[in-house]
Amino acid sequence: MRNIIKLSSILTLVTAIAALALAGVNTITKPLIEEQMRLAVHNALLEVLPEASGGVCVDVGEKKGELFEAYSSPDTTGLAGFAFKAYGKGYSSTIETMVGLDLNGNIKGIKILFQQETPGLGSKIEEIKYGKSKPWFQEQFKNKNAERVAVDKDDGEIKSITGATISSRAVTNSIRNGFKKIKPRLEKIIKGEQK
Amino acid sequence: MTLSGELLKGIYKENPVLRLALGLCPTLAVSNSVINGIGMGTAFTFVLLGSNIIVSLIKKGVPDKIRIPVYIVIIASFVTIADLFMAGFAPKLHKALGIFVPLIVVNCIILGRAEAFASKNSLGRSILDAIGMGIGFTLTLVFIGFFREFLGDGKVLGTPVMGSSFEPVLLFILPPGAFLSLGFLMGFLNWIDSKKVRK
Repeated sequence: MRNIIKLSSILTLVTAIAALALAGVNTITKPLIEEQMRLAVHNALLEVLPEASGGVCVDVGEKKGELFEAYSSPDTTGLAGFAFKAYGKGYSSTIETMVGLDLNGNIKGIKILFQQETPGLGSKIEEIKYGKSKPWFQEQFKNKNAERVAVDKDDGEIKSITGATISSRAVTNSIRNGFKKIKPRLEKIIKGEQK
Repeated sequence: MTLSGELLKGIYKENPVLRLALGLCPTLAVSNSVINGIGMGTAFTFVLLGSNIIVSLIKKGVPDKIRIPVYIVIIASFVTIADLFMAGFAPKLHKALGIFVPLIVVNCIILGRAEAFASKNSLGRSILDAIGMGIGFTLTLVFIGFFREFLGDGKVLGTPVMGSSFEPVLLFILPPGAFLSLGFLMGFLNWIDSKKVRK
């Protein structure tokens, strides 16, 4: 009996010290991690909506980081476009893409935020070809209408990646479906702006 | 054993992956590029060093019956610390290694060194052991990663070196390539050893 008390009190002591140490580390790294996540979203926004580089992006989504209004000047005048996050089930992961739109629903640029597709096949959605500076697959989306964007196998204009139709289709369809979902809201925002 | 022997044994003679065949899971999973190998190896060495130091310091105070849960709590704490720091300072690497950073907790090399070495040896020797084993693990990952990245993707450290006409052997980036590379490397070392014995 006495042995049990001794053993459990030692174990309690060890875990308490561990918890204390972890709490300490967490207070140091928490702001750093949040800053990194904010930076990642910020950089993605700049890349998909170059028009907003002199202005601001305002988070207007129901969930944080899902939908943004972009303004061409810092005092939230001159609505320049929107950006939204699209989620698509790929071959081995849920692919997250940031999509930039102008006011007519045309894609200004996309940026894959997260993917864990098969290296060498599906991961080519982020491939940058030798001597180029931008990923060729994502570049194709520029100036395409978000409502009608589709891969070539679905009679669309996006050339899918050889051997990775599932990943190509996941990105493309997630953008089209994501846009359809937010379209009524965007129209409302644009109308409000014109009044 | 001499102190330098304690440090060097983990690199070749008792290399945790190639000789003791421990920690094969992360070796196979994250050895698809050199940079992944460096990142995983660094995180692993940090955890092993931390756990070996603490285990060696408290070895007399820990009753035999609860030593495994105590070791696991210590290891898990260091893994969480490494995970948090990586997320804060090297988010790209953190994303690339994904689930394999938290899984260092169950890497049998670390518990193995705590149980077989740090709980029986002095602090100084435990530190040398951890550094040696860490270097051995990292070198193995980097070595396999170099071959897989070069053959399977035509790149070295993420920079294309073969030009656009090179057709990479995709197999080496995919899981079978990990098994093949590791198998050949182990076989090669055994072949060297068998030659030494014959002499």
